[in-house]
Amino acid sequence: MSSENKTIKFDALIVGAGIAGGEAALNLANSGYKVLLVEKERSIGGKMILLSKVFPTLDCSACITTPKVSEIARHKNITIFTESEVTDISKTADNDFIAHITKKPRYVHVEDCTACQLCEKACPVSVRDQYQYGLIGRKAAFIPFSIANPKAAAIDIENCTLCGACEKVCPTSCIDFTMETEYFELHAKTVIMASGFSLFDPLEIPRYGYERYKNVITSMQMEREIAPTRPYNTILRPGDGKVPDKIAYVLCVGSRDQTVGNPICSQICCMYSIKQAQLLMGALPMADVTIYYINIRSFGKGFEEFYQQAKGMGVNFVKGKVGKISELENGNLILRYEDISEGVVKEAEHDMVVLSVGAKSNPSVANIFQEGRLKFDPYNFIAQSDLMGSPSKTSIEGVFVAGTATGPMDIPDSILSAGSASSDAISYLIQHETV
Amino acid sequence: MATKINPSFTDELKKYGAVNMNACYNCGTCTAVCSLSTTDESFPREMVRFSALGLEEDLKTSLKPWECYYCGECTASCPQQANPGELMMSLRRWLTAKYDWTGLSGLLYKSLPFMILAMILVFAAVLYFASSISYDLEQMLHAGHNFEMIAIGTIFLIIFIPNLLRMWYFTIVKTKTKVGIKYYFTTLSELFVNMFTQKRLRDCDEADNFRWVEHLVLVLSYLSLLFTTVFLNWFTTENIFVVVFGYLISFIIFVVTAHFVSDRLKKNKSLNKFSQPSDWFFVIWLFLMGVTAFMVRLFIDLDMLVSNKWLYITHLTVLAQWALIIVPFGKWTHFLYRSFGIYFSKLKTLSS
Repeated sequence: MSSENKTIKFDALIVGAGIAGGEAALNLANSGYKVLLVEKERSIGGKMILLSKVFPTLDCSACITTPKVSEIARHKNITIFTESEVTDISKTADNDFIAHITKKPRYVHVEDCTACQLCEKACPVSVRDQYQYGLIGRKAAFIPFSIANPKAAAIDIENCTLCGACEKVCPTSCIDFTMETEYFELHAKTVIMASGFSLFDPLEIPRYGYERYKNVITSMQMEREIAPTRPYNTILRPGDGKVPDKIAYVLCVGSRDQTVGNPICSQICCMYSIKQAQLLMGALPMADVTIYYINIRSFGKGFEEFYQQAKGMGVNFVKGKVGKISELENGNLILRYEDISEGVVKEAEHDMVVLSVGAKSNPSVANIFQEGRLKFDPYNFIAQSDLMGSPSKTSIEGVFVAGTATGPMDIPDSILSAGSASSDAISYLIQHETV
Repeated sequence: MATKINPSFTDELKKYGAVNMNACYNCGTCTAVCSLSTTDESFPREMVRFSALGLEEDLKTSLKPWECYYCGECTASCPQQANPGELMMSLRRWLTAKYDWTGLSGLLYKSLPFMILAMILVFAAVLYFASSISYDLEQMLHAGHNFEMIAIGTIFLIIFIPNLLRMWYFTIVKTKTKVGIKYYFTTLSELFVNMFTQKRLRDCDEADNFRWVEHLVLVLSYLSLLFTTVFLNWFTTENIFVVVFGYLISFIIFVVTAHFVSDRLKKNKSLNKFSQPSDWFFVIWLFLMGVTAFMVRLFIDLDMLVSNKWLYITHLTVLAQWALIIVPFGKWTHFLYRSFGIYFSKLKTLSS
């Protein structure tokens, strides 16, 4: 394996190609700067591209994301590295950051792939599809998801048996097992961190029975079930494929909870749960949907109306955090909670439970800056050095932060924050042009 | 009826050991994870709420603190780390003080210097008494035996019976519970079963059977020791069976209490994390009772007590401190209040 660094030069490095990183990249690129967008996944678009609809407008998420993603991918000033990670960044001068980037091989020449899916059909290996959050399977030779960008096959080398079946059927011979990891040394004048967030892992709270009880799923799994590119083409509970008619949402799973080290509010769970509840009422008109909450935080523009609309549609709201969940023989679930309005402990039977998991920081960027000069807040989100004055500035001059890398926020706020980060980055580039 | 809130009540409860309860944001997780909580009797969140608002009357008339066995699950799952388990424990101390008509319980719970002073006074009284009979062993043994009998009777008559009546008045009469007289008799089994076996502890989800067995063995040994010393005259009897039995139970007492002390030092369970002086005095004095009783009988059997009168004076001091302070005004009372609490609570469900 060659470990020789290829040296490349860009005006700006953007870490993370989700909606915030993509937006920032477009702003910089449209202003004439050369941008390198580094994404660790096989597709750009982040979490938003996988969502169903967005609150509070109920616009189709993919319909907003895909044109934007195409624009990013086709922009002459933007270079995208997928399946790549920035391993370290150091600042040598005011307009010189040196970053090392590892680009993993896709084993497919993206420019030749026609996404015909013949390799998928030929591949004998089945594993859980991480882009459908484990609801269905995929092959080891696969197209990440139908609206992925780049839309090209990839080989999941960890699960691949190297049988060569995909290579034989590929009409353009774009599969190439000789590809190797590439290493780059990047010189950039500014950096935007748009590394996003991670979802809370409900396995940390065993009393909710996630993975032990098949009909307990996460909100991201439900998001996939109601998305246009959904895996089942209808709403099914994973345990036995029954169409659920009594669905429960458990809010604050892994947020506002000190026992799991995350005492802060994730800001999005109330609203996405209300959104999903409304979509479920549309998809399954006979179903009962109950949301168990501590407090409904509908603080944004149009949010309170959206919450009232859900109530009007017949979504049940019960004040009380679910304490524990147990499973019946038929796969139904018993939720034990205290009904706070009555002060009485109650049990309710549901046939499907959605855990509205909270947002946590993305741990993979914690040590990216050498000498630890990038400061983080107590919850490991990137700290904003001047929260009120210039919220996209970080503790390092020339490094800006966009979107949920600073803390949980919704999509409109992420995009606003990306706008702020990109305009700060442009100012920085102009100020340091002649240095 | 208008309810007056009293936020400064939390300061009062803190003196009884409550920690961080104002952090509660009323999610109800504690109540939902508690395996003893039922639709009829939901706790502990209600108690946390009452405490935060300072609704003393509602707390005083509630039996819920006695229904909790402190498995610690609520504390472990509390998202705000408001420690509902420890609050329930503090409420039990506070209620003990409220039930006590003399008011001494409250003083002893809240003030460590007062507690130490009381212990020293009892020690001085024992010394004074011993010197007044010129440390005569025969007389001391006789007096010790008489003291035990008189103390038990007196404490029951002038402390426990009035206090239990007060408890009954607060929780049954004041809450306007109408219970037929016959139920008081038909439910008696509930009282005694819970008094001697702590049956309800076995319903805790944690299924900590060892804790249950250990506590049961301690209660039975303690009661047996009381019986053996008072009615079978363990220290002077010649009956080999009684002698051996006494050795066995006093041995069990100091082994089990030593284990309790070590658990409290290790703080390995929520139950043990926030020990108050009253908890320490209770376990340590029970331990000392076991050890000194065991030693006294051993020295008698080895014919060494006459030359080691200090040992008997030590035992007498421990016994007097135990019987005059810890039993009537300290943690010992949970033996009565908890079982009466469950008994009264059963009566209340029958009335509704």
